[in-house]
Amino acid sequence: MLDRVQIQIFVGTLLVIITTVVVIVYGLNEKERMLEYETAYQARAIEAGATLFEAQCSRCHGTQGTGIPGLCPPLNDRYFFDQRLKDVGWNGTMEDYIVSTATSGRLTSTRPEQYPGQGVPAMPSFSQQVGGPLREDQIRNIAAFIMNWEGTATSIEVPPTPEGPVAGTDITKDLPEGDPTSGENLAVSFACTTCHIDAPTGPYWLESDTEPAIAARSEARLSQPDYSGNATTAGEYLFESIANPSMYLVTGFADGVMPNNYSSTLTEQDLADLIAYLLTLK
Amino acid sequence: MLKSINFAEIRQRTWNSIDSRVRAITAGMGLHELRSVVRGDPPTEKPNPRYKVHTTSFLFHIRPRYYEAGSTILTNTFRLGFFTTLFLFIEVFTGLILMVYYVPSPEKAYSSIIYIMSNVPFGQFIRDMHRLGAEGMVIFTFLHMLRTYLTGSYKKERSFTWLTGVILLGITLFLSFSGYLLPWDQLAYWAVTIGTSMAEAAPIFGDQVNLLLRGAPDIGENGLLRFYLLHVVLLPLLAILVISIHYYKVSREHGISLPPRLEEGDIPPEKKKEAKRRIDYLPDLMTGEIFWTSIGLVLLVMAVTIFGYHAPLETIANPQVTPLDTEAPWYFLWLQGMLKLGDKSLMGIIIPTALVILLFAIPYIDRNPYRSLSRRPFAVGLGLLAVVVLIVLSYMGTPHFGIESDAATRIVQDLVPEEGVGPVRSVPYEQLQPGVYIVNETPTSRLCPNLDYGCPDLESLFADYTNRTNLAEEEGKLPDSDAVLLIDNWQQDLKKVTFRIGWTDELSERRTYERSIYIHRERGGE
Repeated sequence: MLDRVQIQIFVGTLLVIITTVVVIVYGLNEKERMLEYETAYQARAIEAGATLFEAQCSRCHGTQGTGIPGLCPPLNDRYFFDQRLKDVGWNGTMEDYIVSTATSGRLTSTRPEQYPGQGVPAMPSFSQQVGGPLREDQIRNIAAFIMNWEGTATSIEVPPTPEGPVAGTDITKDLPEGDPTSGENLAVSFACTTCHIDAPTGPYWLESDTEPAIAARSEARLSQPDYSGNATTAGEYLFESIANPSMYLVTGFADGVMPNNYSSTLTEQDLADLIAYLLTLK
Repeated sequence: MLKSINFAEIRQRTWNSIDSRVRAITAGMGLHELRSVVRGDPPTEKPNPRYKVHTTSFLFHIRPRYYEAGSTILTNTFRLGFFTTLFLFIEVFTGLILMVYYVPSPEKAYSSIIYIMSNVPFGQFIRDMHRLGAEGMVIFTFLHMLRTYLTGSYKKERSFTWLTGVILLGITLFLSFSGYLLPWDQLAYWAVTIGTSMAEAAPIFGDQVNLLLRGAPDIGENGLLRFYLLHVVLLPLLAILVISIHYYKVSREHGISLPPRLEEGDIPPEKKKEAKRRIDYLPDLMTGEIFWTSIGLVLLVMAVTIFGYHAPLETIANPQVTPLDTEAPWYFLWLQGMLKLGDKSLMGIIIPTALVILLFAIPYIDRNPYRSLSRRPFAVGLGLLAVVVLIVLSYMGTPHFGIESDAATRIVQDLVPEEGVGPVRSVPYEQLQPGVYIVNETPTSRLCPNLDYGCPDLESLFADYTNRTNLAEEEGKLPDSDAVLLIDNWQQDLKKVTFRIGWTDELSERRTYERSIYIHRERGGE
């Protein structure tokens, strides 16, 4: 018969062997596990970057990074990924370029005719090191998000700078005769459709299960009790919504998502065309 | 020539020379003796060399010469104190490895943890062991104390040992708590912010204590460094000092107490004699220690490998964003629960301090000489009551109790928690079909006809969302609600999931709550 000491030595030795085997088997998978962790961490950096981009960058660079003509350049753009670094003479990586630009901003625009930005500085600095709102790791996350467009970015045409008088914000002014076909093209080239048709970021233009299309809705809004704008006709309502989007917000949509500079970037003719197009969506 | 060499003599001399070296190292035990120790045989020499080592060797002199047979019965101690010490050793060892990579600064701390997880072989293993060992240490300290209380082992000559034990409970809690901040994630940052803000409630010197701990009005660079130094230098040194005192008392002075029934029960004298039979440290007690160490190690290793325990790591600390569900570490939840009951100074400082003083004073207040449960009903009742009260207070300390957030926020937080996975992030990426899903309009079945196997997880998520909003509407928390779930393709391998809930508030105004999260294909589980 084994006494207690001998049983303890036997079982203890067995357990030490089991522990060793478990640790070794666990160790065999370490390389893969570390790689997986790295990938997952990168994926989460992109997720976090998407949230930050939406909050900090999308008002100027567009929710989908397609830029806003007359304001800020597109980032979800073939040119940006293929040619931009050469044009500005940057020696580092694309990611470093994005981090550097977001960190310190831009005092003046490098392409003032097309993308003047918001004046001086053209782009604010975002890093806390230089008085901005974001930490370094947050800027890195935004860069990771932007870099994720690299594989799918398409070329974005630069629309010609507006010629003729700009639209302004006086919704009672007489606009020239609008052309719905040209308006439809403008809706695509100004990327309106990205949010109003392709994705439900802004109010949906077309007819849905619950509501009629935008033309009929514009008419109906005027008599809604919560309507806070000044328009008296459907056309004026659309003018107001484009030129001064904060005047009235449709329930369920936040302020500041729709760019508020169309009154200075659209000509009277463009605006008239857009309104004419929207009024055809019944 | 060969004949002139006396092999027997050479053998004898070699043996003697090795034997004397071994005796020098083992402080008195020769090769024969070592062999008989391992075999469990009786001592080979007189006087017993196994007692000699207890005076000649430092490491053996702090160990007991013997324990009484009755006190080594497993159900007497459950080896709780032993395991607490074992966990401390594991903490020191794994902690040292973690210190190689860890950088105590707000800019680097979180990324150094990520580095440990993604670039150090066995990094996650060591971190998980360290975390689980810490939890184990707290749990076993508490159980050890409870056992000591219930068997009345704090009485008479053991009262000072109890006192050092109470100090050790405090040191253990603060060791664990100071380590909590180091990963510098949201969990750490806010739990410690809550914890240190309690110090603020202390009368007279509260602000000073808070400032001393945090190094600034808010936890930052200074606070992190202070917690780090507390965690790796001051508290471990204190722990080693107090444990030495605590253990020396047990091992060299009064031993482990006998089970009350063997000490004062009505049992035959030969049984009492057997209970007092000496069990020597060598080889019995030492083999036992090694045996229990191997059990402790195998359980811990299994837990972090096969059973998949992982130390939590949330997103990087963000002082600007207070998480919706902030929670103290579980062993301080009772304190958080007390704070919900009344004034911060009274509930957070004065009563807890009084309780600690009471804990210290137990052996001096309790004059009842008996140790059996049945002979001290009042003390046992009080102890059990204290445990129940602790559990209830801890439950009250969780965010589920007494904190009302508005219904829409609660629903969305439950489905897409700020930290961790939650139901939405557990839906397989492919099943997140872009679309607009309107509660009580979109049919809840066959949401994705173009997927071969459909999207059962998305459907059950949508059903869950529907149930929660309908329930809230029935309860009157979300009058005339309209709830939408939107899923967009946002980028390559990235989807945007938006929850939008509208309702009419008490002032008959239309309110909306909206929250979007992004989900990447490769994000993985937790």
